[in-house]
Amino acid sequence: MPGRDGGDIWKWRREIDDLDLQLLRLLNERAGCAIAIGRIKRELNIPVYDPDRESEIVRLMIEHNTGPLDAESLRRLFERIIDESRRIERVTSEVKAGGNIRERGEQK
Amino acid sequence: MIIVMERWATESNIQAVVNRLISDRFDVHRSTGVEMTVLGAVGSRVVEAGNYELMNGVKEVVRVTKPYELANRAFRREDTVVRVGDVAIGGKDIVVIAGPCSVESEEQVNRAADVVAKTGVRILRGGAFKPRTSPHSFQGLGAEGLRLLSEAAKARNLRVVSEVVDHTQIPLFLEYVDVLQVGARNMQNYHLLRELGKTRKPVLLKRGMAATIEELLQAAEYVMAGGNHQVILCERGIRTFENYTRNTLDLSAIPVIKKLSHLPIVVDPSHATGRRDKVPAMARAAVAAGADGLLIEVHPDPEHALSDGAQSLFPQQLEQLMGQLKLIAGAVGRTLANGLRP
Repeated sequence: MPGRDGGDIWKWRREIDDLDLQLLRLLNERAGCAIAIGRIKRELNIPVYDPDRESEIVRLMIEHNTGPLDAESLRRLFERIIDESRRIERVTSEVKAGGNIRERGEQK
Repeated sequence: MIIVMERWATESNIQAVVNRLISDRFDVHRSTGVEMTVLGAVGSRVVEAGNYELMNGVKEVVRVTKPYELANRAFRREDTVVRVGDVAIGGKDIVVIAGPCSVESEEQVNRAADVVAKTGVRILRGGAFKPRTSPHSFQGLGAEGLRLLSEAAKARNLRVVSEVVDHTQIPLFLEYVDVLQVGARNMQNYHLLRELGKTRKPVLLKRGMAATIEELLQAAEYVMAGGNHQVILCERGIRTFENYTRNTLDLSAIPVIKKLSHLPIVVDPSHATGRRDKVPAMARAAVAAGADGLLIEVHPDPEHALSDGAQSLFPQQLEQLMGQLKLIAGAVGRTLANGLRP
């Protein structure tokens, strides 16, 4: 019965859109925190890359994981999120420190 | 740049690489796999991959970006057309540049220019300062040679190419020539290249006899970095174990350069083979392979030439070759630039 199956997909996709929008909001909120941290790091002259903190984030996520995503999936997903946070921290600190136009362009 | 870590690499090995990438101003994409970790370095900075290869726990460094930017096809999708007066190199027309190896006398250069003009060739070549392998060989007529070459060309509505061997000669060359040639031996004379980058005249850059295509493109980058984007590349044969011919003409460099770069590429079959009887075949092959032009030595009396006589064509050979090139050009969707055209 194609009608019923098609209807189900549509329902789940709406659910996914909903969740993605929540993720989007959360990711941007998270990025806002990273920017704030970037500023502090610059003021205190602390390097952007903090491997211990990065490992801690991944460990915390795996610890709290309830599935169905497995630990490796979580590691990969959070590594991408951390990569982007590191980048945004870097861009923030460089712009404030008088970074060039190119970096400013990248921020858009 | 992509860095693949060894299976046995420790977390601190990985962190050290990430740290270095960050200090080299890359953004890092870390991907921890079940067996090994891969680090993607995002950014267009040019760094020594070797520095990373030597770090503990690094298995392999894969360079994705090229070490040349301005000469890269990615920088300009359409082909660069270099204008030499009313002659365009790098467009639909295949441009033959011909003339004697050296300017020997007023009489010789005028006879050579006659030969060249009569066959429909638009650009006259000729050496005034000769970088010869032996210091005892004929070294060229110098500034006087340039003047004679320029006058012979002007009288026949030809453009002029000549090799500049030292940066101090550039002002003199700007006065007399339309294209400044950098010889194979000077391809990595970065000081000369940089100075040529400050001029706004076309530069014909020959591939060094032991230079890779990538090194040739990096040499072009030196000229272009100064703001002079009018660079014509020239394949003239490379050194191989084969010694029957003077060099081995790397015809595959033509399609390779066409893919990697937007700059025009011409071929010099005379220096590539060093033998007159092999020149026409290689000239035909170059046009068939997609070259934008040819640089051919022709002498009114090759047997008495003061330099490179053995590789200079007889006048009638050039005439015959031009007829053949016209046919081949047509077969590959090009036209042969011809000054005799009505």
